[in-house]
Amino acid sequence: MRLNLFCGALLAVSLLSGCATTARQDVQPWQRGTLAKSEMAWEPDPLMAEYRRQVQYSKEAASGGATIGGGGCGCN
Amino acid sequence: MRTALGLALALMLMSPAGHAVTAGEAAPPLSAPNAAQQPVGLKDYRGKVVYVDFWASWCAPCRQAMPQYDRLYRKWASRGLVVLGVNVDTDRAEADRALKRRPVSFPVVYDPAGSWPERFDLPTMPTGYLIGRDGIVRYVHEGFRTSDVPALEALIDKTLGEKP
Repeated sequence: MRLNLFCGALLAVSLLSGCATTARQDVQPWQRGTLAKSEMAWEPDPLMAEYRRQVQYSKEAASGGATIGGGGCGCN
Repeated sequence: MRTALGLALALMLMSPAGHAVTAGEAAPPLSAPNAAQQPVGLKDYRGKVVYVDFWASWCAPCRQAMPQYDRLYRKWASRGLVVLGVNVDTDRAEADRALKRRPVSFPVVYDPAGSWPERFDLPTMPTGYLIGRDGIVRYVHEGFRTSDVPALEALIDKTLGEKP
């Protein structure tokens, strides 16, 4: 019983302190250089992305709303 | 169980939450290597007015600020002003490229691990800390706009005029 309680306590400590560390995982101002790297961009290769969009628009006969589902007015 | 929760809570509170360095506090005694791998710290400039400028190559206002700080440094180095650039690029080559493009005459140290900005708990990039001759932070300058320069210049001038 005592051992169980101890194990439970240890587990609670490790889990909750885990919460504390993950809460501090915000990107700090001085770490934003990582976000500025080309591999972090939505479109690492703008030319290729534009080419793919062109193909998509031609096939779908509609343009816009290529980024996030639900976007675009779909009016043309 | 209650003990366990209490202990966990204590651990959470003890986790390294930063404490922002503000005006009126002593500057933390940090040290970092310069281009020649020699450690340079704030204690090396005791008795001087130090302006610590945190910069990175990816930060546009930092690049805009550096020539201005360089001008102030060259103007007032003889009066005891030191501008200390702390580069926080994770890649040293990028910092070197930026410095090659815009060379500065003030000392620059490299802190790729980000221990200086973590200790100062930098609010934004760039941030400058004006430290008086007594090692106490006089002013924290967040961000940079060219229009900030006259006020900053006046403040540095005033700090340089203070009796040690």
